[in-house]
Amino acid sequence: MKAHLNTAFSSVKRWRHLNTALFYPLFILAICDLPASAQSPRPTEFQVKAAYLYNFGKFVRWPESVSAGPVFTMCVFGDDPFDGALQQVTDGQKVNGLSVEVRQVTAVDAIKGCRVLFINGEDPGWRSGIATAKKLAVLTVGDAPDFLERGGMIQFVLVANRVRFEVNLDAAREAGLQLSAELLKVAAKVVAQNPPGGQR
Amino acid sequence: MINRRSISARVTMMNLIVSGAALMLACAGFFAYDQVTFREALVRTLSAQVQIIGSNSVSALLFNDPESAENTLSALRSFRNVASAGILTADQHVFATYTRNPGDEILNLPVLTQGQNEAYWFRNTHLVLMRAITSEGRVVGYVYVRAELSEINVRLRRYALIAAAVLLLSLLLALFVSRAFERGITGRIIGLADMARRVSRERNYSLRMPAAADSTEVGVLVESFNAMLQEVQQRDSALQKAHDELELRVQERTRELLSANRELEAFSYSVSHDLRGPIDALNGFSYVLLQQYGGSLGPGGEEIVGHIRASARRMRELIDVLLNLSRVTTSTMHLEAVDLSAMARSIADELRRNEPLRQVQFSIAQTQPVQGDVRLLRIALENLLRNAWKYTSKHASADIEFGEKQEHGRTVFYVKDNGAGFNPKLAGQLFQPFQRLHNAEDFQGDGIGLATVRRILSRHGGEIWAEGAPEQGATFYFTISAGSSDRPR
Repeated sequence: MKAHLNTAFSSVKRWRHLNTALFYPLFILAICDLPASAQSPRPTEFQVKAAYLYNFGKFVRWPESVSAGPVFTMCVFGDDPFDGALQQVTDGQKVNGLSVEVRQVTAVDAIKGCRVLFINGEDPGWRSGIATAKKLAVLTVGDAPDFLERGGMIQFVLVANRVRFEVNLDAAREAGLQLSAELLKVAAKVVAQNPPGGQR
Repeated sequence: MINRRSISARVTMMNLIVSGAALMLACAGFFAYDQVTFREALVRTLSAQVQIIGSNSVSALLFNDPESAENTLSALRSFRNVASAGILTADQHVFATYTRNPGDEILNLPVLTQGQNEAYWFRNTHLVLMRAITSEGRVVGYVYVRAELSEINVRLRRYALIAAAVLLLSLLLALFVSRAFERGITGRIIGLADMARRVSRERNYSLRMPAAADSTEVGVLVESFNAMLQEVQQRDSALQKAHDELELRVQERTRELLSANRELEAFSYSVSHDLRGPIDALNGFSYVLLQQYGGSLGPGGEEIVGHIRASARRMRELIDVLLNLSRVTTSTMHLEAVDLSAMARSIADELRRNEPLRQVQFSIAQTQPVQGDVRLLRIALENLLRNAWKYTSKHASADIEFGEKQEHGRTVFYVKDNGAGFNPKLAGQLFQPFQRLHNAEDFQGDGIGLATVRRILSRHGGEIWAEGAPEQGATFYFTISAGSSDRPR
């Protein structure tokens, strides 16, 4: 995982190296200011994915019918691959003003109430999970290679050793979710058969 | 011309300076105001840009997509004064940058303090503006822009250009106004100055300034000047009249005086001449009486007749002297160059010959020749030298000097001796006829010599004066400017 991010930040690192002296005071401040995790060695792939998962919620608008509930529930379908990283990332954070709650989901029935559902591709029932979540207007995120083809909305991919994501806009639309242009802008790929007229 | 027009030049200069200074101050004020407003506007514009970029970069920051952030930043290309910009992550690492030209990278980034949302810093040549990018109330990164302030310089140049143009125009206007002013007030002051100069040069007090129809100070000045000229003219003519009258009266008096003098001289001559006959008769008949009837008169009678004869002789001498004096006054002058020093030497020789026993040292300097009547001048010089000879006779060794010197730009001749001298208080009487300062027993003389000398010199347009003290010798000074003052008779 370190290697992935190394390349991603290499240009930044070079630039910084050049200006170490000038940035010195800035560094001191930055170090004092940052949470402990930032100073730790490179974040793992799943730490990055956990952060992305949390951030997706900020760029999605759910249909009116879903917007009930005082908390923003993020669910993990199947085994939790995040190793606690998701709890760590979302601890004390809010999405659209709602405090975040992380829930483990093992059965399809339990998907109801989730806003974002991470579907572990290794779980045998993940495909049915996609279908159920779509009906319930839940944003589905996964890392299975054929996740989008199976009707998933956002799929993590590795591009040049960097964690990125692809979007199946049709699937999101069918579920009644609106993904913001900001999100699509940073997506590695957006799959959409229909013209994006209804998109905003 | 410059000098002559100095008032208008000064007024013009004053106009130029005042308008120039006012303009400069106004320009400085405008520019200062423009600087402030320009900076404010720049900050506002950049702030708006930075806000847009910040909100458009949230997803890029959250999903670690620097390319997207750089895309967003590249929108700044339409802002010409933005030299560089960038996005930092929340932990102040550079995330994405934008530079207008290579090398525009910002090296020394300021830092927002805790809780500060946006701040800007004016540096020498640029403005740095930084803003925190937030998502869900948390700072997820920072965006900054660095804008060149060179536009301010462009504005400054533009201002300078406008100021120069306006200055030029206003100077032209000031010049024009001054010219107009000159035709009005300054022109008339200059006219007055010219008139004053002309009056004092030509002494023509009948000149007048054209009457002023206004009541300004200049009008009053012109009026007063004219009144002053009027006054001067009146006084001048009065003075001229008085002068002319005086001149006339002097001429009249001179004429009267001359005719009286001539009559007196004629009378004196005729009296002297006519007296000679009876005196000669008296002298002759008394001689005959003594020769033919001397014995019958007795010794007492003879003595009386001797007295009569001596008196008659003395009278005859006096008459001769008077006649000589009269001749000196009336004879016609023949002007020629006369060498007074040669004349003095010949007189000195003559004096020595007559009294070879006396020890007298003559020192006679060579003098400039003068224009004069040689016969009259000889009489004058002979009188002076003979006087010196005579009044040094009581001294064992005598020095007599003749020479000339320059005094007040004229040649003064002098005859100096070391003889008996005279009382300086009585110097004025020396040249009066028959006035004698010494006893006849001490020095023989008829008392007419110096009077004769003075007349001769006076006929030559000269004067004579004397210096001396008793037993200290005497010096007689005289000048000759022949011909000029000999009045026609």
